[in-house]
Amino acid sequence: MGSLSSTSSRVPLWRDVRVLRWAFQLLVLAGVFAFIFWLYNNYQVNISKSQIQTDLTFLDNPASFTIPGNDFDQSQPVRDALVQGFLNTLRVAFVGILLATLLGTLVGIARLSGNFLLRAVATAYVEVVRNLPLLLLLTFMNLAVVLQAFPRIEDAWLPLDLFVISNRGLALPWFEGSGYILLGVIVVALLAMWLTVKIRNAQADKNGKPAYGLRIGALIAVVIIASGWLLLGFNWTLPFVEGRGTVGGLRLDPSFFALLVALVVYTSSHIAEIVRGSILAVPKGQGEAADAIALSSGQKMRLIILPQAFRVAMPALGNQYLNLIKNSSLGATISYFELTQVAQITVGNGSPAVPAFTLTLLVYLAISLVTSLVVNYFNRKLALVER
Amino acid sequence: MKKPMMALAAVAASALFLSGCAATDTTEEATTAATQSTTTSTETAASVSLLESVQAAGVVRCGTRDALPGFAVLNDSGEHVGFDSDFCKAIAAAVLGDATAVEMVDLETADRFTALQSGSIDVLVRNTTWTATRDGSEAATFLQPNFYDGQGMMVAANSGYSSVSQMKGAIICVSKGTTTEGNAALESSRLGLNWEVRSFDDTDLILEAFIAGQCDGWSSDVSQLTGFRSAYPEGAAALAILPEVFSKEPLAPAVLDGDTAWAQAVNWAILATIQAEEFGITSANVDQIASSTDDVSILRFLGQEIESSDGSAVLDPSLGLPTDFAYQVVKQVGNYGEIFARHLAPLGLERGVNALWTDGGILYAPPYR
Amino acid sequence: MIIWLKRNMFRSVGDSIISVAVAALSGWVIWQLLQFIFITGRWEIIQVNLKLLLVGRFPEELMWMLGASILALSFWIGAVASSSKRDLNNRTSLIKTGFGLLSRFGLIIALGAIIIALAGTLDAVLLGIGTVAAIALGRLVGLARRKIAVLAKIPWLVWQILLVALPLVMIIQTLLVSDLSEWGGFLINVYIAILSIALAFPLGVFLALGRRSSLPIVRLVCTSYIELVRGAPLFVLLLLAGVALEFFIPSEIAPGAIFRAVTVFTMFTAAYLAEIIRGGLQSISKGQTEAGKALGLSTVKIIFLITLPQALRNVIPAQIGQFISLFKDTTLAGAALSMLELLKIGEAITKQDDYLGQGLVYESLGFVALLFWVGSYVMSRESQRLERKLGVGIR
Repeated sequence: MGSLSSTSSRVPLWRDVRVLRWAFQLLVLAGVFAFIFWLYNNYQVNISKSQIQTDLTFLDNPASFTIPGNDFDQSQPVRDALVQGFLNTLRVAFVGILLATLLGTLVGIARLSGNFLLRAVATAYVEVVRNLPLLLLLTFMNLAVVLQAFPRIEDAWLPLDLFVISNRGLALPWFEGSGYILLGVIVVALLAMWLTVKIRNAQADKNGKPAYGLRIGALIAVVIIASGWLLLGFNWTLPFVEGRGTVGGLRLDPSFFALLVALVVYTSSHIAEIVRGSILAVPKGQGEAADAIALSSGQKMRLIILPQAFRVAMPALGNQYLNLIKNSSLGATISYFELTQVAQITVGNGSPAVPAFTLTLLVYLAISLVTSLVVNYFNRKLALVER
Repeated sequence: MKKPMMALAAVAASALFLSGCAATDTTEEATTAATQSTTTSTETAASVSLLESVQAAGVVRCGTRDALPGFAVLNDSGEHVGFDSDFCKAIAAAVLGDATAVEMVDLETADRFTALQSGSIDVLVRNTTWTATRDGSEAATFLQPNFYDGQGMMVAANSGYSSVSQMKGAIICVSKGTTTEGNAALESSRLGLNWEVRSFDDTDLILEAFIAGQCDGWSSDVSQLTGFRSAYPEGAAALAILPEVFSKEPLAPAVLDGDTAWAQAVNWAILATIQAEEFGITSANVDQIASSTDDVSILRFLGQEIESSDGSAVLDPSLGLPTDFAYQVVKQVGNYGEIFARHLAPLGLERGVNALWTDGGILYAPPYR
Repeated sequence: MIIWLKRNMFRSVGDSIISVAVAALSGWVIWQLLQFIFITGRWEIIQVNLKLLLVGRFPEELMWMLGASILALSFWIGAVASSSKRDLNNRTSLIKTGFGLLSRFGLIIALGAIIIALAGTLDAVLLGIGTVAAIALGRLVGLARRKIAVLAKIPWLVWQILLVALPLVMIIQTLLVSDLSEWGGFLINVYIAILSIALAFPLGVFLALGRRSSLPIVRLVCTSYIELVRGAPLFVLLLLAGVALEFFIPSEIAPGAIFRAVTVFTMFTAAYLAEIIRGGLQSISKGQTEAGKALGLSTVKIIFLITLPQALRNVIPAQIGQFISLFKDTTLAGAALSMLELLKIGEAITKQDDYLGQGLVYESLGFVALLFWVGSYVMSRESQRLERKLGVGIR
């Protein structure tokens, strides 16, 4: 055999792998820093030529514009305007995610239905919407639906005398009273329902009788909400047309409505595909076993297939939620006052462009990271525990 | 890898927000630093004025728009035609001797000043209002206003409004990033009208919304409103411009701060049109006047030779412009009155305050000597 | 037939009710759509503005170069398509191949026919016929290489380069002669998409490799870039580029709208491609790298000869999906940078003097939607077909 003794066979420095690795890394780092420095230098040179501010003092300037939908005063600082824009983004994102998940799940299940027509319609919906750009859907919603199809306020549609639909927005019946208190009542009701389910299940484990936990819990929740409603003095207000606007009820800004519908329709088509794929990913044996123990198809879906499918779908769903939040920035094209619109307006009013838009980017980044953290948390909780 | 990234982003975002609060201490340092750096940079920048680079490049990049009737629209051949477009051409005629040596750059309202700041355009002639904030924080230098305007409100004729004070709770549509936005908000709070102000990227969208009835009122410069009213599909009679004028809106071309030579050159190009009208020189009679007049001030103005006891001389005020720039401007584009009559009179706009000081208006050009 | 109906639509009472309701609703919708398309729709706005929609303000006198480029591209596509190693002796009937082609490309053929019908000029018809002829010619040339021994002797790479030379030269010539700022319409959407994905590809590969690197600094840099770009909305990045890009480059270069758009799209797509490629790299079993090491190959050689080719092949469908996404996102460039791309022009033509306020937005947006939809749908179907052919996920 060849000699394996290490007789002064020191690897020269320029061939030593460890040295090379670190040399390469330092080279890359130097390259990156050089590139960033070059960008920074260009920035400084160009900025100093044009004498624009580059710090964040613009946040204290008065906004000089109002934001529809709340009492934002035009003398409040730009910072407050950005916060309002941020809240509007969250508003459309929150409602959008809820509705898109709901619609997407329904369409996804419909795509696997045994009914041919339902399957065909769901497939057509998904295939058509998925291949269209979101901006096109949004523009269509705004120009064709809201501005063309919806009537002028004088001729507003009044379906069921409950809603007022016009191109100035949608008015829904809404409750009168503090929203936070109602939210508190709902939270209490849900807690009570959860407690009931736990207690009834524990009892059922002991004495073997059916638990009906969910049914009783739901009943208790409804009772709590109803009594809270009556005792705390909430009541419904119906919207009706007065002059050139509506009075009463909740008025949805037409841009909010257009953005919401476009986002929901677009994202739900993707969610439908994810749901369909995740249901198909559940091993066939599970479904067959469910049939073998005579579960109805509804029970099969609810107890066996969907929970397992949800685990598979969770990461992809989280991705779609992130996309929805980022896509809400398109609201700026139809004058919905979310974060990007507010940033654009302040820039047009004199705020320096680079700091303003960079700040906007950082806020979106923060939202994305928080959402993906939440999704990852649920992912980990749902993950199969394997040895 | 997510947690460190999130922490990094959160720290960065919060640091930026907090630094905004602490900015008051740092602003003073920043402004002194900025003024120091600007003094050094203007010394170095002065050697490369935009005037020289434009003359070297042979084309003036003029920031404008493409769809404001009367001020700047695209005709069938894709050329810009209008009041502001003519002033762009006047600048090119003065600086380069050729009114066609201009590159028109279409801009949205929100991008106007960033385009100027970044050097994408040399001059902004886009019915832009001269305000103190724009002079300061937008780093713009405004020149002789070419149109003194005011902000008004346009409503549908059958809306029943005859005065702004009747428009309680109305929906008003404006363009993003304009003085009209701020003025509308101010007016609303002053009169307690509780307006809902919606702002759009460009006037196309406002037009759509207005036609559909989504806006009760459209607030903008009266000249803009007149232009759009004349081109309204259902006819100008379907719209009414309310009598109240909210604010002063002097529309003026703008250049970037810190370039005195370029600013003065552009300014004198504009002033040439006003002075020409005062002298009664039009594009039709400029040649005849140049050759036959013996009014010394006119000869000086047109850059013609003036006979004197020492020989003939041409006035060269060292503006960096060719000595016959005024002649070129009038010959190739026209005087102020011609430009106004060509584009704005057909819309129904009167001269009003935009007449010469000798006719009761406020257009007054400093003497060319 | 009755049995099929019963099993698929009328299994139970609830099922029957759903079937009837859905049938009625979809019947009504389809009827309204057909009425709109053929009877009430005023397609004159599209006919008049067809050139604007498809190529923007492309100079009229240079349109022939565009046509020539399209013909050259069709020729190249035909030649490449016939280079596949299909068994020449397997004679499927002509009708069968005809149907196969129709089902694969029927939508594109239909779209082409609609555009030619709307254009109504002889040039358009000739271009359409010319395209089909060019594809046929390309196929013949491709087949010739297999049948004629002389041509078969030419190395494969040289042959490919020869084939692609013609369209490439044509396209580069068109780019040089015409002013890029005058391009617009559907042409600019396609141009930006193709250019961005071509540029993003090497960057994406580098980022993916960097993210998996064992060198901590490289990994940090690549991961930061990917996470930062993926967390940002594309629209805001475009807005930022619209106002800020010129501050970061030397002032001698004046960036046009297309430069900004391509820069942002490239940086954005590279981050997403990096994640896709990283997934592909993770799917390669460690045995491959270990075998490479056993053969004494250096790390670089292992990556570029063994791991990367397999990884890229595995994620081709995902990459095509990303391209489709990019293709649809080019509409954002119109909104953020005021570029005259298809959607922006579609909105603008409804405001021309002749058509303002007439509610023609349905026709206009409908046509735009048709173009985007056919492009995306055909590409995604081809990607599924490719997925099946390559046996991804099965082999």
